[in-house]
Amino acid sequence: MSDMKLNGADLAILNSRFEGVVRKMANTLLRTGRSGVLNRARDFSCCIVTDAGDLLAAAESLPIHVLAGPDMMARTMKQFHPVLKRGDAFLHNSPYHGCSHPADLTLLVPVIDDDGTHRFTVLAKAHQADIGNSEPTTYMGNARDLYHEGALIFPAVQVQRDYQDIGDIIRMCEMRIRVPEQWRGDYLAMVGAVRIGEKELLAMGRELGWDRLETFSGQWFDYSEAAMVEALANLPDGQAQASSTHDAFPGMPETGVTITAKVAVDSAARRIRVDLTDNPDSLPCGMNLSEACARTAAMIGVFNSLDHRVPKNAGAFRRIDVVLRRGCIAGITEHPYSCSTATTNIADRVANAVQVAIADLGDGFGMAEVGAVIAPSAGVISGIDARTGKAFVNQIFLAFSGGAASPQADAWWTTAHVGNAGMCCIDGVELDELYQPLLVKRRGFLPDSEGPGRFTGAPSTIVEFGPLVGAFDIGYGSDGHVNAPLGVRGGGTGGRADQWLDRADGEREALPACALVNIRAGDMITAVSAGGGGYGDPLSRTPESVAEAVREGYLSPERARDIYRVALDTTGHPDLSATQALRAAS
Amino acid sequence: MRFATDTGGTFTDLVVEEDDGRISMYKASTVPGDPVQGVLAALTLAATDRGLDLATLLDRGDTFIHGTTHAINAIITGRTARAALLVTEGHRDILTLREGGRIEPFNHSVPYPKPFVPRALTFEVPERLIHDGSVHQPLDEAALASIIDRLRAEKVEAVAVCLLWSTINPAHELRVGAALAAGLPGVPVSLSHQVNPSLREFRRASSTAIDAALKPLMGRYLGGLEARMREAGFKGKVMVLTSSGGMMPAAEVAANPIRIINSGPSMAPIAGQHYADLEGNGDSVIVADTGGTTYDISLVRGGRVPMTRELWIGQPTRGHLVGYPSVEVKSVGAGGGSIARVDAGGLLHVGPESAGAVPGPVCYGRGGTRPTVTDASLALGFLDPDFFLGGAMKLDLAGARAAIERDVAIPLGISVEEAAWSIIHLSTENMVQAIADITVAQGIDPAKSVLIGGGGAAGLNSTFIARRLGCERLIIPETGAALSAAGAMMSEVTGEFAASLFTSTARFDFDKVNAALADLTAQCAAFAARSGDPSRPAEPVIMAEARYENQVWDIDVALPLLRFVGQEDVEHFRRTFDAAHRQIFTIDDPSSAVEIVGLRATMRCQVRPFRDFRLDAGAATAGQDRRRSAWFKETGWVDTAIYRLEAMEADRVMAGPCIIESAFTTIVVDPAATAQRSAAGSILIHPAGRA
Repeated sequence: MSDMKLNGADLAILNSRFEGVVRKMANTLLRTGRSGVLNRARDFSCCIVTDAGDLLAAAESLPIHVLAGPDMMARTMKQFHPVLKRGDAFLHNSPYHGCSHPADLTLLVPVIDDDGTHRFTVLAKAHQADIGNSEPTTYMGNARDLYHEGALIFPAVQVQRDYQDIGDIIRMCEMRIRVPEQWRGDYLAMVGAVRIGEKELLAMGRELGWDRLETFSGQWFDYSEAAMVEALANLPDGQAQASSTHDAFPGMPETGVTITAKVAVDSAARRIRVDLTDNPDSLPCGMNLSEACARTAAMIGVFNSLDHRVPKNAGAFRRIDVVLRRGCIAGITEHPYSCSTATTNIADRVANAVQVAIADLGDGFGMAEVGAVIAPSAGVISGIDARTGKAFVNQIFLAFSGGAASPQADAWWTTAHVGNAGMCCIDGVELDELYQPLLVKRRGFLPDSEGPGRFTGAPSTIVEFGPLVGAFDIGYGSDGHVNAPLGVRGGGTGGRADQWLDRADGEREALPACALVNIRAGDMITAVSAGGGGYGDPLSRTPESVAEAVREGYLSPERARDIYRVALDTTGHPDLSATQALRAAS
Repeated sequence: MRFATDTGGTFTDLVVEEDDGRISMYKASTVPGDPVQGVLAALTLAATDRGLDLATLLDRGDTFIHGTTHAINAIITGRTARAALLVTEGHRDILTLREGGRIEPFNHSVPYPKPFVPRALTFEVPERLIHDGSVHQPLDEAALASIIDRLRAEKVEAVAVCLLWSTINPAHELRVGAALAAGLPGVPVSLSHQVNPSLREFRRASSTAIDAALKPLMGRYLGGLEARMREAGFKGKVMVLTSSGGMMPAAEVAANPIRIINSGPSMAPIAGQHYADLEGNGDSVIVADTGGTTYDISLVRGGRVPMTRELWIGQPTRGHLVGYPSVEVKSVGAGGGSIARVDAGGLLHVGPESAGAVPGPVCYGRGGTRPTVTDASLALGFLDPDFFLGGAMKLDLAGARAAIERDVAIPLGISVEEAAWSIIHLSTENMVQAIADITVAQGIDPAKSVLIGGGGAAGLNSTFIARRLGCERLIIPETGAALSAAGAMMSEVTGEFAASLFTSTARFDFDKVNAALADLTAQCAAFAARSGDPSRPAEPVIMAEARYENQVWDIDVALPLLRFVGQEDVEHFRRTFDAAHRQIFTIDDPSSAVEIVGLRATMRCQVRPFRDFRLDAGAATAGQDRRRSAWFKETGWVDTAIYRLEAMEADRVMAGPCIIESAFTTIVVDPAATAQRSAAGSILIHPAGRA
């Protein structure tokens, strides 16, 4: 590297240009992707890593996708393909080599300068509607192992040479992946995204000089590390540990799986360490974490607890140590244990445990628990549409909530789950009723289900729906019924997930956490999502906020009095002296 | 004589058109508490300029066209009416649940947004229709009557009604509307199938709620505007600009206020297209309007201005979604007032913090202490401290330099000039990235487009923006400093009508589509008969909101015909759709069916003949060309020619570096670029020089 030194103005301009490149990649993918999981659930990400694999810039996306993983994937690409040429592209979805889970198919393109030197790698990762599993789902929690799961696995497999597809690979995918035309459409969208990123970086290198871009990367990492140092200096020194428990699902012990995170903040050394080694061994189910998801989930818990302006890249990551164990459910899962649902269930428990532990270090830090997923209101419904005679299978996004309270504010209600952070879209009732033969009788938030606190967690959503004509099947896996989202620092637990069926004959039937249920005409299923935990003592919540929630019908006057110790006058406004008396007496 | 005004946050722009087609421009300060006062002040300037009193000037006018931010400001500041919302039973949380999505996923200091209408004022009407419009559950009249009693007791000032599937069968909404009219006389009511027939019920409910809540206020505002104009001596027509880039009689706007949320900014692309056409560059146009605090970007592609239903009041996902079609304008917080600072890690930032109009840049001498983009332009010699706004305001050069030195140059260890250059450069980059975002989303290649620089401060860095985008040509129109007001003068009386329906090319419902088309064309014809000029016949333009089967987002496609007779007409439409999809997204998919989810008809009635629209040079004599020193990265301080815009001869190429000045604007042409004035009066700049 030259001894070039860029000033703060040059750094700002170059950063803006790199961010522009990843945003262009993401816009291209969003606008041209065909499957709902890509453009409706926004389950994709785009980023740039350096030639050494360090994460430099990522477009705003769901957090579980990008913090760690792109680095490992780019390094496996180099390891398996030591000679990289312009025009190459690689498919990667191996959770044993750096990908999050097999459904997150990733395309990597090395950016090679005019002298043949590898400068950067651009990545586009998109959750596929199908990846060839033995069952028509990409979240196969009951998979005993990879063979039972059945996903096609690509450990950095070359799919393009000289900008042309290697037909063998495409044909293999088309033979094995369900709805191959849709897969092909999403693949083309990913190719468009990575190639536009490559083209923009090549133009930047020619215009500004590769040495200048390399100098920028180094200085940008240093700048980001300095921002991280400043943010860590504000955290209280010390160690804390917290646990978060996943409800029992098929393939798990009857008590579920408890995940423990040990967090140590060394504010003098400006480092934070997350130890996940004290957790159960890998299980014969699809819930094991890939290394990428274990690292990322730990980092989400950390970044949720810091100033959000710290840039998330390899420079900031230098200050985080995530300690993992091989053969551990929340560690480095080894082949052929399955990681089918690695981005959601256990990963959410890891992130929650980390942010709860940080909250235990001091008031004003960390966050409460975000509610778990996936309730039937975001399940996969399938059947034959009696109106047209055509088969249908779609994931619906009728409702989810889950948002946790932070030390600064009430929750963002429609967070979905901690790894998604609210990026997912919610369907309209009319469009869902148009595309599927269903009727949504009721949809909204459930009163008195918020996580109480100084700042409140999200209330649960409740949706009641059923077939308009004929019948349909609905598949879901809803964690958070037994283990509702915990509050922190005196904050209370948010609403628990639940589901039941009201039969046409008036009988009510409780439904299990994980099931594929047939719903017949006249039946109605009710899905309750998990809410989110509260932050701080409910008695320190401003009486006016409590009164407003009562006026809005989200909170009963009884709960206002019993939990928040707020008395209301006849106009629905807080009676301050009565409130003071109530609070003093408790 | 015609008057067009655009009330911005800082200035109220006025364009006056004489009966012989000559135009003139004026700027007055906006009075935020009383926008009409700023309008009258600008008109008074025009009267004085002609040696007339205001009443005499106004008496000569036949049309007054008004662009206003009054509606959007009322929403931002929460001054709208106490409105209630009536929804289908079971769906009370429609405005709270929204459509998901979020920005800044790691920022947990922003709580979930509150609904536009509080849940306490949202009522469930027992009734239910299904997808084909048939009745699943009849409307419960007794329950409706008791809801109306509640509304009366709650003293609501406006009511919005949004029932599921009302766009397919409006019977229940119409019945609720009639019951409200009878039960709450004088309280304005908005029905969702009339306000915004769209199959996305959240957007429909949001538009309807905003519309209802604006009606009392906008009725008063527009009534007051008209009364004060009459009082001041105006006897002609009062028109208001709409979000779709047209204008409507003030009385019609009061009944449909949702249509004017983006009044003003929507006009920039109309003017931009006019000026690009004059220079033969009309195919692909990027129109940028630089204000004091925001930089607004819009597009024109193949003669059409792209529209969006995703107009947010406030930040995306955090504010309120208007949902009603508007000219797509991307707005970013960047402008002359953007503040420069260096953070603790040594990184330079420009904006989004702005010094605004008050206190404004340091050089205005109104109490601003932090350096802005305007201060940087002054420090580099781009602005003349003695000739800002034609000399109306003297600028404090020493103050600007000192602030830049303290806040930027010393922290970065560079000279004041380099610091000022960096501020301009970073601000330019922010604007370039905003343009890249909107053009990639619309499938437009900036390198094959022309850039129109509008707004008084556009000339300071538009050459740099055009160069970064790879545009061959930048056009600064003669009226660029008041681009929206100029667009207003060119606008047409516009009627908008919509029909909601669902059909697919795989199972095309000829009867339903033809019935909807016949209804829309009849409404357009009636509008033209009512509002247009019979000597200038107009044709309706009908757009289909369409998409490939199971795609999520619709695109607008102009219908190639007004009646579908046979399968070949359906094929013709789908070829048109494939081409539009290819243009925006680079790919098409001829094997998928195309779904139509709605139809929109626009009737544009011309009200004035085409004219040159040339600025009246008036008494301004050819000023003496001067020289002063300006600083450029590649040259340092360099002796630079200063030209008076009004005095420039047509088609004479001026080599950079030079600076072109008028009373309204300053245009910087750096050493690599050339500039010339076109025969039509615009300044044309070639960033890479003219071959």
